[in-house]
Amino acid sequence: MSKPFILHMLTTAKNLSPFDVNMAVDAGWLSATPYTNVEASEVQGLIQDVIFSRSPKGLKNTGIFVGGRDTKQAMDMLKTAKNSMLPPFEVSVFSDPSGAFTTAAGMVAIAEDALKTKFDTDLKGKNIIVLGGTGPVGQVAAVLAAKAGANVRIIGRQLEKAQRTADMCNEEFGDGKINITAGGDADKEEYMKTTDVVFSTGAAGIELLSAELIASAPQLKVATDVNAVPPAGVAGLDAFDNGKAIAGSNSGAVGIGALAIGNVKYQVQSSLLKRMITEDKPLYLHFEHAFEAAREYINSSK
Amino acid sequence: MAKKSILHMFDPTPNNSPFDINMALDCNFDVLMPYANVKLEGMHRLTQDTIFSRSPAGVKQTGIFIGGRDIALAIDMLNTAKQAMVPPFEVSVFADPSGAFTTAAALVACVEKELKDKHNKTLKGCKALVFGGTGPVGISTGVIASLAGADTVLIDHLSAGTANDIAKEYNRRFGSTLSGTAATFDKDKIELIKEADIIFCTAKAGVQILNEVVLSHAQQLKVVGDVNAVPPAGIEGVQLNDLGDPLTQAINSEGAVSVGALAVGNVKYKVQHALLDSMLTGDKPSYIDFRNAYAKAKELLDL
Repeated sequence: MSKPFILHMLTTAKNLSPFDVNMAVDAGWLSATPYTNVEASEVQGLIQDVIFSRSPKGLKNTGIFVGGRDTKQAMDMLKTAKNSMLPPFEVSVFSDPSGAFTTAAGMVAIAEDALKTKFDTDLKGKNIIVLGGTGPVGQVAAVLAAKAGANVRIIGRQLEKAQRTADMCNEEFGDGKINITAGGDADKEEYMKTTDVVFSTGAAGIELLSAELIASAPQLKVATDVNAVPPAGVAGLDAFDNGKAIAGSNSGAVGIGALAIGNVKYQVQSSLLKRMITEDKPLYLHFEHAFEAAREYINSSK
Repeated sequence: MAKKSILHMFDPTPNNSPFDINMALDCNFDVLMPYANVKLEGMHRLTQDTIFSRSPAGVKQTGIFIGGRDIALAIDMLNTAKQAMVPPFEVSVFADPSGAFTTAAALVACVEKELKDKHNKTLKGCKALVFGGTGPVGISTGVIASLAGADTVLIDHLSAGTANDIAKEYNRRFGSTLSGTAATFDKDKIELIKEADIIFCTAKAGVQILNEVVLSHAQQLKVVGDVNAVPPAGIEGVQLNDLGDPLTQAINSEGAVSVGALAVGNVKYKVQHALLDSMLTGDKPSYIDFRNAYAKAKELLDL
């Protein structure tokens, strides 16, 4: 009889996200066991308890999920986990703090697809601003777009915090190959003159891009919004929009709403959780794998 | 419809051990319920909530597992749970904090087996050292070896006071005759090892405790057992899968053999599996600690 599928779910937070638990069980994991308030120093011990309690064969039916809220911490925990393995005692690990990796991957991949289908272009050389960009989704979206060749600027209410976030992204996730810049909310109007793409990743229920700013943008092509709670982060955008022209845009920009992004995010997270089960060798999954999976899903669903 | 089997996993630490989760699900428990940060004062109520929510037939499919890192606390929790039972509302309780009881039981039994097979001796009268002797596995190993008749010393890497206090505390609890000391430098270890028959190494993973030079001073060493699975081995020359393989590093102890971490782990795994299984299949509720684990390990090794 084959061993039951067990996903050990680690989080630095007080509780797991029920979202991740539902996703894990729906992906075929029989048991989703929570480990909460986990500190970085505890990861190695937990991993070794995971790998030494089953045979290498049983470990194929065992996985680790890393949640939490902080992107850097989640990537660090993924690295520690990987370094704690002793092959053949090794299991797959998937990091997706606050769902930020899969959400950002879904958002950037849909924006890329909209650029291609509506404007016959790609992310390379595009000017992108990330509103509310100091949060986890904004950080990862900025990194993915920058890695795809875009000029990305993270916008925050406080310029200083935005700059710190941009520096952290370049350093931790960019391998020195990307150069995300920062800007303050006050200068949004100026930036909109040259912006091609807007990612709105702020808190739910707050408008970050007004109708006036949209109308003022001469080369805006795509605006995305992860906020599903009215009012929308981007004025005039509906949560269900998926490539619909934004009313009031003078440059013919299209909008992508939270539920369109959410659908891809869901598919991506589900496919990565399933890959941990089906693939023969251990995987270490993070935002780059999520981005690949999002591109694949979008192409395959055409 | 038959009731699903439920294992309630009470743990005084912030999280259960993934080791125990894997083991319990592999033993056919249908549902595992982790309870973290459990205090001794809470055990009575938790136990009664466990037993009074199912019929006596249903409680047969219910068990309590006690984890954590502190073996004295685990034993206290086990005793409290036992006192809280109201027969026929009674379930089996298995304490195995940090896997220490099953690991120590497997370690001692494996070493005992090699002692018998290779040297035709029992633990009785042997001089045993436990390096890393003040951690959960080390203490459990010491108590089991001492109760089996070995003259056993718990060794702390820093403080003789700590080792002594722990030896006294556990002697009082379990009737063992442990002593305690410290060994920080090679010269301390050399002094201790000269007359040792048995060495148990239960120190921190990935740290070498005894090197070749120290081992060369052993005059009558017979069997060493090392539970460290992360290189380097706790005892130089011990391989993970060793089970009675010659320990050539002990050049002045003819016939010395070693037992490695995966060999111990294999028996530990079987012991824990059998004991978890017995919670669902036994006729009546049982209360399982290191003594039951040691008995099971000996049975598995035909001792």
